[in-house]
Amino acid sequence: MMDKKKILDEGLLELYLTGELSEELTNAVEEVLEKDKSLKEHFDVLESDFEQMGMEQAIVPPNIVKSRLKNAVGQTKTNWLPLGIAASFALVFGLSTFWLYEKWQNAEQNLNTLQMQTSELERKVNNLESEFRLTSNRLESINNPDVTPLVLYGNSKAPNGKVIAYINHKSQLVLVNPKGLPRLPNDKTYQMWSDVNGEMINMGIVPTDKELVTLKYIENAESLNLTIEPAGGSEHPTVEELVSNIII
Amino acid sequence: MKKSFDDNEAITRLMSGDNDALFQLYDKYSGALYGVILRMCRDQTKAEDLLQETFIKIWRSIDSYDSSKGRFYTWAYRIARNTTLNSMRSKEKLIQTDDFRVYDSKETNEEVPDYTELKGSIKTLEPHHQEAITLVYYRGYTHKQAHKAMGVPLGTFKSYVRQALKQLRKTYTKKLVYIWIFLELMA
Repeated sequence: MMDKKKILDEGLLELYLTGELSEELTNAVEEVLEKDKSLKEHFDVLESDFEQMGMEQAIVPPNIVKSRLKNAVGQTKTNWLPLGIAASFALVFGLSTFWLYEKWQNAEQNLNTLQMQTSELERKVNNLESEFRLTSNRLESINNPDVTPLVLYGNSKAPNGKVIAYINHKSQLVLVNPKGLPRLPNDKTYQMWSDVNGEMINMGIVPTDKELVTLKYIENAESLNLTIEPAGGSEHPTVEELVSNIII
Repeated sequence: MKKSFDDNEAITRLMSGDNDALFQLYDKYSGALYGVILRMCRDQTKAEDLLQETFIKIWRSIDSYDSSKGRFYTWAYRIARNTTLNSMRSKEKLIQTDDFRVYDSKETNEEVPDYTELKGSIKTLEPHHQEAITLVYYRGYTHKQAHKAMGVPLGTFKSYVRQALKQLRKTYTKKLVYIWIFLELMA
């Protein structure tokens, strides 16, 4: 433990004065000097004598040294303090910019994902909406007091076959649900006809792959008749291939 | 006290980048520091370079000076001493060593000009006290090197230095008394 007595006994102040002490001892002496006022006063006197001695031993240097010093110092001294501060700020800005950039990239990625999810949802909603519109339109055209539903049962040509026809005389619409019909080979098709005063009038072909087929409304029709025709349909019904008929 | 106040003012200005303050400090201390450097290296041309180097170091590192730890002169003296010692070491291509004889051999080879002689109150000291002060403060010897050079134990050497400084203080005080009496008589 360093104290005043030890410093004085070992003559450490004199060594401290000329900077001869190790860093450790220098720190220790400085610590005691800071705390011990009387030792500091002692050192002050020592320093004062030392300076006086220095002044007494002074030798005036040639003027050239001062002019050379002026030249050397004339070149602006680099003041590192503001540069240091600026550099620290730059570092802080740099780091925070990087951090913000990372955040921004994450946010951008999240936004992209969200946008993709949103458009996916939008697409689904649109699909649902159009499907719903279609379904509700169909329901409206079927579930309506002006509509007469008729069921056509298949004969031996189409055993267990069944077609439901919805006729709306007011809006002159005919819809048919062919789902109950047996499937036909590719070169054949079902075709619907109206009987007007004994004449068969084409209402259109009835594909079995659709849920609801819109057919031509024929005025004054007395019955509906379903035949099997070659693919693409016929101009006149093939009577032998009559599958079902019903009187309206 | 006034002197130290002026120093602080100049040092503050120097710290804030005012180069004129350096020349103010130069005017005040260059003589004392040149006295130390010249006596240590004993080469006028070299001493001039070293004095310039010392003040450039002061100028560059003034921010590290702490007036609460000691006088500016003490701080500047340390810079001058170390600068000179380093230059002498590198010239001699010697690694730092406690062998003081390198300085001795140097001395014998060179003619010692008169201006390195010590002057003033030191001359009134007893020879061994004079030598002790000279070795430590004006030749750059460490206490360890100096006591060997003088051929006395370290403890004895330390007491020489202390006694010498004490003696010097008495001389200075006496001088002050004479000046005071002189001033009183003038008045």
